[in-house]
Amino acid sequence: MSLIKRKWTAKEAEEWTKEDLIACIISPLAYITLMLGVVFSFLLLWYGFVILLAGIALTLLLYFVINPKLSKISTEYEKKQKEYLENLEKIVKWEDMK
Amino acid sequence: MVQFAFLDWFWIILFLIIMVSCGFLFYRMGKRSESDFFLAGRGLPWWLPASSVYATHTATDTPMWVTGVIYKYGLSGLWYTFFSGWCAISAFVSTRIFRRSLAYTQAEWQSLRFGGLGSELLRGWVAGWQVFMNMFILGWVSIAMGKVCHYAFNWPNWIGLILFSSICSIYVLAAGYWGVVMADFQQGFIALAVIVIASIWGIVAIGGPSEIIHKLNSMGETWRLNPFHFTGFLKGDFPFLWFFTMLFIAILGGLGMGTSIDWYTESQRIQSSKTVKDASYSIWAGTALVLVRNAIWAAAILAFFVTFPNIVSVKDYELGWFRLSFESLPVGMVGFFFAAILAIHLSTISTQLNLGALYATRDIYHHYINPEASEKRLVWVGRISTLIILLGSFLYGLMMENITEWLIFALWIMAAGVWLPNILQVIWWRFNSWGYLSSWIASLGFSWLIVWILPEFGVIPDLPDYLQFWSLLILGCLVFIPVTFLTKPENMDHLVKYYVMSRPIGWWKPVRKEAEKRGLI
Repeated sequence: MSLIKRKWTAKEAEEWTKEDLIACIISPLAYITLMLGVVFSFLLLWYGFVILLAGIALTLLLYFVINPKLSKISTEYEKKQKEYLENLEKIVKWEDMK
Repeated sequence: MVQFAFLDWFWIILFLIIMVSCGFLFYRMGKRSESDFFLAGRGLPWWLPASSVYATHTATDTPMWVTGVIYKYGLSGLWYTFFSGWCAISAFVSTRIFRRSLAYTQAEWQSLRFGGLGSELLRGWVAGWQVFMNMFILGWVSIAMGKVCHYAFNWPNWIGLILFSSICSIYVLAAGYWGVVMADFQQGFIALAVIVIASIWGIVAIGGPSEIIHKLNSMGETWRLNPFHFTGFLKGDFPFLWFFTMLFIAILGGLGMGTSIDWYTESQRIQSSKTVKDASYSIWAGTALVLVRNAIWAAAILAFFVTFPNIVSVKDYELGWFRLSFESLPVGMVGFFFAAILAIHLSTISTQLNLGALYATRDIYHHYINPEASEKRLVWVGRISTLIILLGSFLYGLMMENITEWLIFALWIMAAGVWLPNILQVIWWRFNSWGYLSSWIASLGFSWLIVWILPEFGVIPDLPDYLQFWSLLILGCLVFIPVTFLTKPENMDHLVKYYVMSRPIGWWKPVRKEAEKRGLI
């Protein structure tokens, strides 16, 4: 079994899994390294460029980890969206209150 | 006062014409339905709401706010601006859950997550609160524009406050969210380009990056280059506990909805995205740009600091980035720079106008006053609401004096008591509407007491903002936890319906079991 799952069934993608957790760990690190990398790069400090490259690498890794799962969730959800929207309009018009 | 040449005025007028024409270009699309006027028909690819997230959160007061904290704290001040980091987790947790709910607004989401009378009270409460907050935000952003115009043209503050917000309202009234998001795309592009150009220009004008570092060294201010320069665990201007609090709030806040004041703006962008994936990427990318922008500003503000190191008045150094740019850019570019200031101003104004009108129309008028209203009528109510919010914002703007102080209060102190409930409502099935409602009421009362009233009467000392946050969080728990357990859980049918549609994260085991028993998942 691979560390990062890249092929998802609709049922599997609906669950919260370790890929979500990994994304949630990488994502703030990417933000922090991008922010610090840019400010130090603007000051032409060598370590700024290193941090900035790390930030870009983390962003690409984030995409690699989460994109297959998000794509599957999106595709499946769009099939049900129309029905859910109709229900939403019933609620706003007080037709679906219990 | 800044001198403007013909070319400078040319840029400004050209920019205003392009922006206002957005209203006419997208007029037909905006008037089709409530969904079009407020969510662009839920059909946008990720990069459009992303540019809107970025443009909206680049307001006229933002360079003042960023300048204020960087001038005072050096690069450590970047952490003050890191509150937008909540999107790091939100993009993959609460954004996904909220997009699946399809709620137009956070107020509407309350009636999907909770049921019965409590949910209706919450919907009305959040909607009313958001109408007020959007006027308030518009007021503080507009008065910032008033200050910039006072600096640039020597106009009284009220002229800058009223003039450009009124021009902006033309395309918001005409095309609704279509006008907002399309103008935001252009404004975001212009603003980012000019922020980069003006910042580099300012840095080069004082001798380049090496000169900044050299001057900081010779002034004995090298610590300003260290973003982790703590003044102790609890003591000084930048204690470790403050840093920890900011990271804790920003990052874990992404699990909830409404943990940051920006959530309400982002939630509109989330729902306007074409798919769940587009929603996630739009929030992540838009915020990444915001953080990168802050970093660019920070470098330029260090340049301003080494040029003008002894400014004591907050009001004076808050205008640092504007001064650096106005004073170093050549004739012709000054007007382009001012057009970019207009871009960042208009993008925020247009968003808050449309967002406030969304709560007034969808949650107050459509749900409570006229549930059978036609799409045409709803679009017109949206327009009238926009106008009322604009007029309200003028009043608030004229009442505000010190931007930084208000921002700190409104951004997180006032919301501290609901920070945890905002997460619990997403991750814990047992948390109910009464618990959430009580936390809001308690938070509003406690925040005024802890921040303003008790210190004023000498009952407690003036607490640093991170201690205010923890105090308010604990005081809030003392109210909403007992209220939650003393009242009934939400109706299981309602919870199952919500669970199947949104698939929330966290402690939902009893609801999940019930959904499985009914064969719904």
